Amino acid sequence: MLRLSGLHTSYGPVKALKGIDIEVREGEIVCLIGSNGAGKSTALMTISGVLKPDRGEIEFEGQRIEGAAPDKIVGLGISQVPEGRRIFPRLSVLENLELGAFTNNAGYGKKLDHIFSLFPVLKERSKQPGGTLSGGEQQMLAIGRALMAAPKMLLLDEPSLGLAPIMVSKIFKTIKEINNEGGTVLLVEQNARAALRLANRAYVLESGTVKLHGTGEDLLHNEEVRKAYLGE
Amino acid sequence: MLLQQLINGLTVGCVYAVIALGYTMVYGILEFINFAHGEIYMLGAYFGIVFLSLFTASGFAASNFPLAFALTVLFTILFCSAYGFAIEKTAYKPLRNAPRLSPLISAIGISIFLQNYVMITQGATDKVFPQRFGDASFHFMGASVTGLQLIIILASGLMMLGLHLFIKKTRTGKAMRATAQDMTMASLVGINVDRIISTTFVIGAGLAAAAGVMVAAYYGLVNYSIGYVAGIKAFTAAVLGGIGNIPGAMLGGIVLGLMESLGSAYISAEYKDVYAFIILIVILLIKPAGLLGANVEEKV
Repeated sequence: MLRLSGLHTSYGPVKALKGIDIEVREGEIVCLIGSNGAGKSTALMTISGVLKPDRGEIEFEGQRIEGAAPDKIVGLGISQVPEGRRIFPRLSVLENLELGAFTNNAGYGKKLDHIFSLFPVLKERSKQPGGTLSGGEQQMLAIGRALMAAPKMLLLDEPSLGLAPIMVSKIFKTIKEINNEGGTVLLVEQNARAALRLANRAYVLESGTVKLHGTGEDLLHNEEVRKAYLGE
Repeated sequence: MLLQQLINGLTVGCVYAVIALGYTMVYGILEFINFAHGEIYMLGAYFGIVFLSLFTASGFAASNFPLAFALTVLFTILFCSAYGFAIEKTAYKPLRNAPRLSPLISAIGISIFLQNYVMITQGATDKVFPQRFGDASFHFMGASVTGLQLIIILASGLMMLGLHLFIKKTRTGKAMRATAQDMTMASLVGINVDRIISTTFVIGAGLAAAAGVMVAAYYGLVNYSIGYVAGIKAFTAAVLGGIGNIPGAMLGGIVLGLMESLGSAYISAEYKDVYAFIILIVILLIKPAGLLGANVEEKV
């Protein structure tokens, strides 16, 4: 469904991605793990079109999309929940969700009901400015906003970062639910153990290259991964 | 006397407010001061003269002046919006990722260019607005308000209300607010940010253009340099209300107009242009974010 081949991206003189190859098949949860600065977020931002790659290809459903504008890529069916959630703080919860459907307003009411059934707290707080929500609620809103576009593929960047453990398991459960409903997910996580358990397949990124890849199960038992990312 | 000064102040204040909206909207999204904005107002005054002269020469203005004036305002808005659109595309968009000072310098360049362009093509002397409005005025409680003052106050009020509803209720308005709060995230929900920025410039220019025609009719005289002072005053109004805050710009403009009018009447008319800046300094000392510019706390 999504294929990155030989993808290079840099921030000015700094080369953040040095030729990565990643594939995500329809219906999968694929996870990217790696330390800070490995290039995980850069990969997602390049897929979303916010960063332009120096070279390499991104193919989505058979169509080349590298270098296309972010709004076009959302239109094709790839939505991102970026690192830090980035909800619109001075727009209400409802307005945040409305803007999620900016490119795809079809079935608006139905989608909204679905989001409210996934996250009932958002319904209670729908009139409140987004910036007044707690961290966990903001994460739910950010995921809800991305789902409002009814994306074919969801990119999630560190959804568990800075959340209380109970909220982390709630978020992971929701990701599984989205996947069960047929959604394809590309997940970036620092919480490697939980992510590898959830993922069908995973890639380990190190300094802008893919160091290892395999099924979530394989990597969970891989000696190197256990040492470097699972703290064993 | 007091009531009369309040009416005069409100008239001028409404004009400042309408121009200030253009500064504050652009600042809200791009965080830079469009110093060429005052020149759009000046262009509006000139286009107003051009179109009304055409209607006068063809005899249309004599047969139906209200319609001729309304069409003059409409055409002026269209032409100035095109200028606003073109200025953004040529002078600011190429500098979107440049250091913050670059678009500012570019704006000053555009401002100087437009002033000289009008001076060379239209001459350095004052131009007279072709048809003065009649002296018909309404009297109440010892004060009088002219028909034109009423038009200015009502039209400005309608424009401000219209803009407020547009920003609050429409899809594009919501997208504008989202873009102002987080441009990258706005693009990640599928908003075409370039189009939103163009829309902002077009709306701001249209408002300044309408203000330009109204002031040209009000004072009767126009000159290539009027954009400078009006621009500085409106910018002051925007900062006074809280730069980037739309209701703030409206409030700031009206406060400024009232203070100028009251200061001129009760202290000294010689210092008319000084009051604006005294108020600005005082407000910024007490409330640095401006009257309505509260710093919203944001959780990350």
